[in-house]
Amino acid sequence: MSSPEVDEAAAPAVDEARQTIIEEFSAELGDAVVGSHVRPGDDVWIRVTRQSWREAGFVLRDKAGCRAFEFLSVIDWLPSPFGKNEDSPTDGPPNVSTEIKTGYAGGDTRFQVFARAHSLTRKLGVTLKVDLDEDDLSLTTWLPVYAGVNWHEREAHEMFGVTFEGHPHLVKLYLPGDFEGYPLRKTFPLLARHVKPWPGLVDVEPMPEEAAPEGEAPADADADADADADANAEPST
Amino acid sequence: MGLVESGKLPKPLTSLLNTSRKYSLWIFQWGLACCAIEMGAALGSPRYDVMRLGVIPLPASPRQADLMCVSGTVTDKMVPAIRRLYDQMPDPKYVISMGSCANCGGPYWDSYSVTKGVDQVIPVDVYVPGCPPRPEALLEGIVLLQERIGKEDMAERWRGDPIVVT
Repeated sequence: MSSPEVDEAAAPAVDEARQTIIEEFSAELGDAVVGSHVRPGDDVWIRVTRQSWREAGFVLRDKAGCRAFEFLSVIDWLPSPFGKNEDSPTDGPPNVSTEIKTGYAGGDTRFQVFARAHSLTRKLGVTLKVDLDEDDLSLTTWLPVYAGVNWHEREAHEMFGVTFEGHPHLVKLYLPGDFEGYPLRKTFPLLARHVKPWPGLVDVEPMPEEAAPEGEAPADADADADADADANAEPST
Repeated sequence: MGLVESGKLPKPLTSLLNTSRKYSLWIFQWGLACCAIEMGAALGSPRYDVMRLGVIPLPASPRQADLMCVSGTVTDKMVPAIRRLYDQMPDPKYVISMGSCANCGGPYWDSYSVTKGVDQVIPVDVYVPGCPPRPEALLEGIVLLQERIGKEDMAERWRGDPIVVT
């Protein structure tokens, strides 16, 4: 339950419009609202329990008036166990912290589903979040709330393995039908990087400031000659 | 083409046929990503005007095409379609791989979904490097391919032997 610190000195201290949204959710859902965060003048996040996910959707649409659905997606808060995979593959796994830090409105689990909708009349958007247990990645579908959520839930299903109960056609959207694994999970290995470190790490030519010694710029003729020699030395294919 | 199949085509006739083929390439376009914009500039705009090289940009189907230009990111999901339409093209057929993505996967070389080069599924005759290549680069690739076609021994090609062009 940690929220990133933001510099809120410049923004107004209290955002009544967004605080009202949180109060509406608390009034409708009661204890099902487990966390919230307001960045005054900017945005609002509300975290609800898994059991109240669909009800929270209806509150968002009908009570808060957010009728314009924007997106639904998933966050995997686990730091990548592979690091950036930019080191030698023979060095073994990098020493990476597996401590999970969650963002606004907090969180208790590794996976969070979050969705956002916008109110055109109140002129503000609301982001809803919900924690998912790692051993039971299932959630009630939001299709009765927003019809547009259909493909978003299919994408969340294929990329993170979240099951949306009640979704009529939960098959792969972007990936080939026989794709195995959930590629946007942090634990999904990019095998090419395990075999060969990222070749872009190696600079094929020195940076300009490294090439020229400090305080003594090479003569133009020499530089041209060097460039020609380099060009000739490259194997032609 | 009985003479061609039996390998008894006279040299001047081979040369004539090759010249005819290389200046009437119908190009089948695979615009899969941003390289397609550059391909469109090379094929469609009056500034670059690929038709002056004898390339005809818009065949109605792969069955009319001689040359396939794969420009853009090839994903594993697209590969079966590329292979299938390549197989529908009549022989002799040629492939230009345009841009880093089609050559080797490009910036997406370690992605979970991108094929590491279209040459993993179909034989490629000319690779045009760049991200994306300029239209001039594609035109040079076409000219290189035309040189290859001009030197081809058609009898060997028709026998199905590996094509060796120096």
